[in-house]
Amino acid sequence: MRRGISFRLTVLVLACSSLIFCIILGYNYIISRGIIVRMAEEKGDYLASNTGQRLAEVFSSVSTVVDDMAQSLENGALTEERVRRMGGQVLRNHPEIFGTAIGFEAYRFDPYRKYFAPYHYRMNGGVVSTILGGDGYQYFYMDWYQLPRELGESIWTEPYFDEGGGGALITTYSAPFYREENGQRRLVGVVTADISLGWLQDLVSGIDVCDTGYGFLLSRYGAYISHPDSDLIMNETIFSRAEELGLPDLRELGRRMRKGDKGFVELAGFQGLESVFVYYLPLPMQHWSFGLVFPKAELFADVSRLSSVMSGMGIAGIGVLAGLILLLSRTITRPLRLLTTAAREIASGNLDLQLPEVSSRDEVGELAGSFQTMRTSLKSYIADLTETTAAKERIESELSIAREIQMGILPKLFPAFPERSEFDIFASIEPAREVGGDLYDFFFVDDNHFCFLVGDVSGKGVPAALFMAVTKTLLKVVAETGLEPGEVLAKVNDDLAEENDSCMFVTLFLAVLDVRNGEVRYANAGHNPPLYVQAAGAVEWVPSACEPMAGAMEGMTYSTGTMHFSPGDRLFIYTDGVTEAMNRDSDLYTEERLLEDIAAHPQASAAEIIREVDAGIKTFTAGAEQSDDITMLAMTYLGTTSAK
Amino acid sequence: MKIVNEMKGACMLVSVEGRMDALTAPEFEKACADFLDQGKTNVVVDFALLEYISSAGLRSILASAKKLKSKGGDLRFCGLTGMVEEVFRISGFQAMFTIVPSFDDIAGS
Amino acid sequence: MAQKSVRLVLQWYPQTQFAGFYVAREKGFYIRQGIDLNILSGGADISPSNVLKQGKADFGTMFLSTALEAHYSGVDLVNVGQIVRESALMLVARKDSGIRTIQDLSGKRVGMWGPEFQLQPLALFKQEGIIVDVVRQSPSFELFMRGGLDAVSAMWYNEYHTLVSYGLNPDEMVTFRFSDMGQNLPEDGIYCLASTYREDPELARSLVKATVQGWEYAFAHPDEALDIVLDVMKKNNVRANRAHQRWMLNRMRDIIRPGDRENVSTDLSGETYEAVVRNMLDSGFIRSAPEYERFFQGGAR
Repeated sequence: MRRGISFRLTVLVLACSSLIFCIILGYNYIISRGIIVRMAEEKGDYLASNTGQRLAEVFSSVSTVVDDMAQSLENGALTEERVRRMGGQVLRNHPEIFGTAIGFEAYRFDPYRKYFAPYHYRMNGGVVSTILGGDGYQYFYMDWYQLPRELGESIWTEPYFDEGGGGALITTYSAPFYREENGQRRLVGVVTADISLGWLQDLVSGIDVCDTGYGFLLSRYGAYISHPDSDLIMNETIFSRAEELGLPDLRELGRRMRKGDKGFVELAGFQGLESVFVYYLPLPMQHWSFGLVFPKAELFADVSRLSSVMSGMGIAGIGVLAGLILLLSRTITRPLRLLTTAAREIASGNLDLQLPEVSSRDEVGELAGSFQTMRTSLKSYIADLTETTAAKERIESELSIAREIQMGILPKLFPAFPERSEFDIFASIEPAREVGGDLYDFFFVDDNHFCFLVGDVSGKGVPAALFMAVTKTLLKVVAETGLEPGEVLAKVNDDLAEENDSCMFVTLFLAVLDVRNGEVRYANAGHNPPLYVQAAGAVEWVPSACEPMAGAMEGMTYSTGTMHFSPGDRLFIYTDGVTEAMNRDSDLYTEERLLEDIAAHPQASAAEIIREVDAGIKTFTAGAEQSDDITMLAMTYLGTTSAK
Repeated sequence: MKIVNEMKGACMLVSVEGRMDALTAPEFEKACADFLDQGKTNVVVDFALLEYISSAGLRSILASAKKLKSKGGDLRFCGLTGMVEEVFRISGFQAMFTIVPSFDDIAGS
Repeated sequence: MAQKSVRLVLQWYPQTQFAGFYVAREKGFYIRQGIDLNILSGGADISPSNVLKQGKADFGTMFLSTALEAHYSGVDLVNVGQIVRESALMLVARKDSGIRTIQDLSGKRVGMWGPEFQLQPLALFKQEGIIVDVVRQSPSFELFMRGGLDAVSAMWYNEYHTLVSYGLNPDEMVTFRFSDMGQNLPEDGIYCLASTYREDPELARSLVKATVQGWEYAFAHPDEALDIVLDVMKKNNVRANRAHQRWMLNRMRDIIRPGDRENVSTDLSGETYEAVVRNMLDSGFIRSAPEYERFFQGGAR
């Protein structure tokens, strides 16, 4: 009962609603994050393209200026004055240009000067010029000169710190210029313009991304051009950073950015730093790339907060739900538990227990009502049963008394007449039920006449027993008047048939033995013909006149037959309980078997032969239920006291 | 036990098939009671298909016969064979009742 | 102890290649030897042998081959301590250029630094019988990265890692180390004019001893050494990042203290000396060389 309905219901509903809630929450969270990520991408896109556009504007205007200068230097005279003037002019006209130099190939400008590179630059609000070049400044092997020279095209250099003026971050656009000489196109020199990148750095560092997010700019080779940590600028590349921090993912990002990819990637937490999203985008003009860092926690702060609140609400809600379910199921299980306890009480026998009140109009209320009904029914049923049982017991006890009475009226003392040696008589009776309908009797009519009889009342049980008692009494009374057997039966028949509403009848065989000469006079009212066993061993049925059984109809007449017994002759009388004894296969014992049995024991005494037959019947029936009363009477005539 | 009855002229011919013992005898008694109610008191019973009869069966025959006789009717038998005939003979019923071989013999009388 | 004011010129910009010197100075090892050391930075346009010749420094570091060349051109130098025992010079090509062997470099544009860095490659090419288009390379690797050079010179402890920090993965590069190709010439050593040594041999020995202590301390305390050097670099406006300098320090350890050696040795064996001399004579870099005993004044005495 511990894992009862309450518990199961609560757990089930809880689990389901939790699951549903989790699914909803999870979905919401994922979608929200997706939305935010998309928004971040859009922002990144916008910022990056904005920056890129600004960059492009500035850079393209500068490159145009320089290309124009190169063009102009390819034509026209190459005088020092012109060259110098050009530099100054450019600076005056283009405020965004920081400095401009025109470097010539060795000895190209002046056959005596290996190095000649006039350089104009801004200083203190004005324009200053100088000539670069010397053993301490072999510009031929510097990127701004060497790259366009070797690559044969205009280039932007990697950003670098200007050692001369103020340590600003500079990048230089260099364009080679050529002239035809002796039919060949030969490099004359390289013209450059420097621009400061301070404005760019300011632009990028001014980008507002969450609270702790930032933008950064990488050069061609992944060097940091702009980064919140100014120590990194041009000192570290994204790759050296990755090595220092031990982050292969960062190196991978750097490679992608260098390759010119665009994307949105998540970088797992660095030691001490949190997870971030990086949106990266190439700025194709200089092969630079732009990155926007969104701290993951900040980005999702709103979503996380929302989810937390939703979770809290959900948990609270589920808690309330659980409480309600628990409460509701209690209203179901409480009465059930009470009913259970009551049921156990009733089962232990307490039928008068007052069942618990269940007033609810639902299934549980109905159950309680049924319980009540059941209890009442049980009570009355048990009362009836008790009464019936008592009655049954009463009847049984009465029946056993009746049996005693019935058996009591039959002569059972054997040997019955020890002082008379003219005959030997034995009888046995086994009623099928407590009381039966078979009867036998034997008595002396007078000193010389011995009457013995067997009867079988139709039916069994108490009715037959009552009829049997009446019949036996009548027979004795009438027989003692000394009438012939036939007359006796006729008289008894009339008496029985007179007040016989129940239509009971009785088969009878009555015989009187004259002990002096062995004459046996007999009459048969519908009874099984007895067996006459001669001393010598011959066995035969006593013929019957087929006169009707007694009690059926008044006015019947019965004939009297005569047999002459020699000493040792015997008469075996029985009821149909013997011949109709059935075994389990419903085979009958039959007259034939009886005859065989009798014939097999010619020398047996009356008692012995009856016991033999009885044993034979028992063997034959082999435990099958006795269906009819079994009665046997054997009378052996021994003759007068002359020695055998 | 099967009981089939058919009006034949003034007589109700009743054919009884099977066994008449303590269980089935009441059916016969009831059938005869029905005939009595219907006023058909002249009943002839054909036992040609009756295999067995016990004392309970004899009793119900006796009881039915008494009732029919009291209303001026009669109970007669035909078609007795085998064990049933034997019982009728031994029990002396043939002395109490009219018994003929077959129904046609009755029609004649 | 009275402090002698000494000037030492290095052959390149400040970096952990010279960690031993900076660490020894910072930890006061020179002071303990009675030396008040002033370290002069080198650079792309600075030749320590010239500086010594001009008397602008008392000691200088340079490659062994460089010293022999300088000697041949008239600068009477002596070696007071050989620090780097092996060669870290190498050539690097991009794998996607198709170059796999030295032979593949024939006719290609190969970047090289100044003369002292050209000895080994040119000797090798001569040995291999190939001719390449030599291009003087700048400190940045832009030309190489932009495809203007097919191969570049690099120091295993320096520029190789620079390329890695430019985003090139080691498996995207083809490397040729001269130490593997029969050109394993010892590199950095400490030199001074023979006259300087004669005047005060104890000074040279003390200088070298303190320097060795500096190197041993640096190897034992790498993080502290890095801090010291990075500080110097920052002060000199030299581009620096820790990862790069750490790589450099580790590689310097490999070439200063190769194998499982416990101590830093400043010895230069006669055989090694003769081998280098022979190499340079064969390549035509020099026509003559000083006697070993005259040239080498370092080692245990």
